[in-house]
Amino acid sequence: MERREFLKTTAVLGAAMLTFDKLTAASQAGKLAVESTPDMVAVMGGEPVALLQRALKEMGGINKYVKKGQSVVIKPNIGWDKTPNFAANTNPELVAELVKQCFNAGAKKVTVFDHTCDNWQKCYEHSGIEKAAKAVNATVVPGNDESYYKTTSLPKGVKLKSAKIHQALLDADVWFNVPVLKNHGGAKMSIAMKNYMGIVWDRGQFHSNDLQQCIADICTYSKKPALNIVDAYRCMRKNGPQGKSPNDTSVLKTIIVSPNIVAADTAAIALFNQVEKMDINEVGHIANGEKLKLGTQKIDTLKVKRIKL
Amino acid sequence: MKHNWLNITRLALALFVFAVITWAFVDFANKAPHWVQKFPHAQIVPAILAGTIGLIVIFAVLTIAFGRIYCSILCPLGILQDILGRFLPKKRRKHHYSKPYNWLRYTLLAICAIFLIFGIATPLLALDPYSNFGRIAVNMFRPLVMEGNNGLNWLALQFNNYNFYHVTIYTVTTLSFLSALIALLIVGIMALLRGRLFCNTICPVGSLLGLLSKFSLCRVVIDTDKCTKCGLCEKACKAECIDSKAQTVDYSRCVDCFDCLDKCKKVHAINYVIAKRRSHAMTTGETDKSKRSFLLTSAAMATTLPFIQGCVKAVSKDVDPTKLTPITPPGSKSLAHFNANCTACHLCVTHCPQQILKPAGFEFGIEYAFKPHLTFYEMAFCNYNCTVCSDVCPNHAIEPFKGGLKEKQTTQIGIAQFNKNNCIVFSENTSCGACSEHCPVQAVRMEPYGDSGLTLPHVYNDLCIGCGGCESICPVRPVKAINILANAVHQTAHAPKEEEVKDVDAESLDFGF
Repeated sequence: MERREFLKTTAVLGAAMLTFDKLTAASQAGKLAVESTPDMVAVMGGEPVALLQRALKEMGGINKYVKKGQSVVIKPNIGWDKTPNFAANTNPELVAELVKQCFNAGAKKVTVFDHTCDNWQKCYEHSGIEKAAKAVNATVVPGNDESYYKTTSLPKGVKLKSAKIHQALLDADVWFNVPVLKNHGGAKMSIAMKNYMGIVWDRGQFHSNDLQQCIADICTYSKKPALNIVDAYRCMRKNGPQGKSPNDTSVLKTIIVSPNIVAADTAAIALFNQVEKMDINEVGHIANGEKLKLGTQKIDTLKVKRIKL
Repeated sequence: MKHNWLNITRLALALFVFAVITWAFVDFANKAPHWVQKFPHAQIVPAILAGTIGLIVIFAVLTIAFGRIYCSILCPLGILQDILGRFLPKKRRKHHYSKPYNWLRYTLLAICAIFLIFGIATPLLALDPYSNFGRIAVNMFRPLVMEGNNGLNWLALQFNNYNFYHVTIYTVTTLSFLSALIALLIVGIMALLRGRLFCNTICPVGSLLGLLSKFSLCRVVIDTDKCTKCGLCEKACKAECIDSKAQTVDYSRCVDCFDCLDKCKKVHAINYVIAKRRSHAMTTGETDKSKRSFLLTSAAMATTLPFIQGCVKAVSKDVDPTKLTPITPPGSKSLAHFNANCTACHLCVTHCPQQILKPAGFEFGIEYAFKPHLTFYEMAFCNYNCTVCSDVCPNHAIEPFKGGLKEKQTTQIGIAQFNKNNCIVFSENTSCGACSEHCPVQAVRMEPYGDSGLTLPHVYNDLCIGCGGCESICPVRPVKAINILANAVHQTAHAPKEEEVKDVDAESLDFGF
């Protein structure tokens, strides 16, 4: 029995390493790891649910990422006590649709959480995410207390060598990083990489310890998201991360999906630049992430599918 | 022992009220229904401080009609004493008539009243039964409830149930706990030894109601024709106000518990009835005496108080005002208003979802002792969209916002002070901007500094509301680079100016990559 378990684990690990190697190789050499699946899909011109459905379909379907009986974590941005029209948090319909798809793929459990900046209950409520996710049977867990977090080492981190990461994520078989596209005072932009800050308890050290490097460092956490799903249905142009009013937002009706986190953020900034100027070089964590081999800024080396609905 | 229906009604109402008020005080998750959270408003000291004339009239009318039923069925500290009294073995529950300590009780009442008129709530804070009960419930019962919740949460998590969530207790300080413990010990020991001695000697509300209950319409009356002077009623009287030998009842002290009625089963010589006429020379004599002492003390206090007030102010002035002005909750108008109205019941401490309202010690002077002030720590600051403290404060020490949430969002309780030398952008040449991110009104903005492309925070005073978002997240230790300096008088900040709407033409929009 033990031997069988061991063999199984080895096989799974081996397979995982193989895929990872291929992906890294693909991102570096610009080759395709798996012919049928693009490296990135961008869909424009529809409602959140339709955008996600199409994007996932193009990425090979949810079944490619979620297997029967797995426990899934969805990590949206629920950082602020704002309603969806502020675009300070991820679109609740998008989150709900992803939850549904995970269950359709046979997920045993789908957990949603964020370590919020404002009071967590107000964020969960006013973002609309708690209600939308619970309606489709997701488990919405709090991230408000240190007791939910466990110290995890980050051997590849440059400045950040360890961080307290939420237990739900540590326990998950697979997870999705689902940020919203927005301007950000400190980090310049908050997209997929910045969204990682919500899996951490002790993020005070990020600020005092070179924020842009620490954001890249936390993304080296060994359990990578199956997909980064950037919600650019409504983006926050200005005054991020909170926004002063809905006037700070623009409706772009777009979604960008990729397992390559650096590429996803790069593409999202390119999209963002059409409504507000933002020099990608100012968004230091993206270049830092590339240095740490988390992905590539050279989108033209990737197989990208662009779809207008 | 069979109870008469009056006693049963009294017990049922008292237990109900006690349960509801305790619920309001331990409701750390803000889950109690609105009416439960508002229940503490129906207390005498809060009603007086909030100026709720309707309630004051109701309490006065109730007392004149039925006697001090307030003390038996509405006062949580009174009910707590009755509950504690039950822990005595029945054999030891024996009381004897004692003379009232009128001079003491009316002096204390006068001190509370006069100080209050001069805007100092401190004596009332120390003696008010409602506030004392609040401190006991918030600092002793609430931690138990919270830890119980954590236990349940742990258990539920074993079954993958997330209906509970873990809470850490930040707002019970050593001093606030001690203040509660001492109050509980004093009240508890007095209750065990001498029944309602606290209510009839120390409690200003009891003394105030005593002045009215002497003239109450319905009262416990001894029928001298039937009475055998057996003394059973006197033994049962926890207010120690029945003199069975003289066949008199001191109505200024009777709390209408009706325990005496239960004892006089055989002859029914003691009954709760509508009094036909003023009875007994003795009680009227007491009235005159007590009235006199009340008036005398009041006059004496009124003349000496400005002096005392000056002393209190002088004591509090010994310290650096920039560091030691407490940040009072939004809605409290000013330090003076808050000082004059807050009796430190700690209801807001329980309900603040961020646990940033913390009972003070003596660092802001005696006048501010035990009152809540805003403290900002990691991830905890005053929510931009929250008015809970002003909603629950029964004293109107934190006044409800007439203009609703919008008014709170422009109420400036303090202003952020930026200290460049402490800021890591300046001292370590690294980018940060956490303070700016957390500012809900864009009062803290990152502005270019030097040629390195770095930006330093700049505070726009007219926009800042003092919520502490910036201070709470500032990573510098031990002294942060941005701190809120309290406004002793709250101001109105400018509402943040909205950006112009920028519509995106869907046709021309492309992916951009």
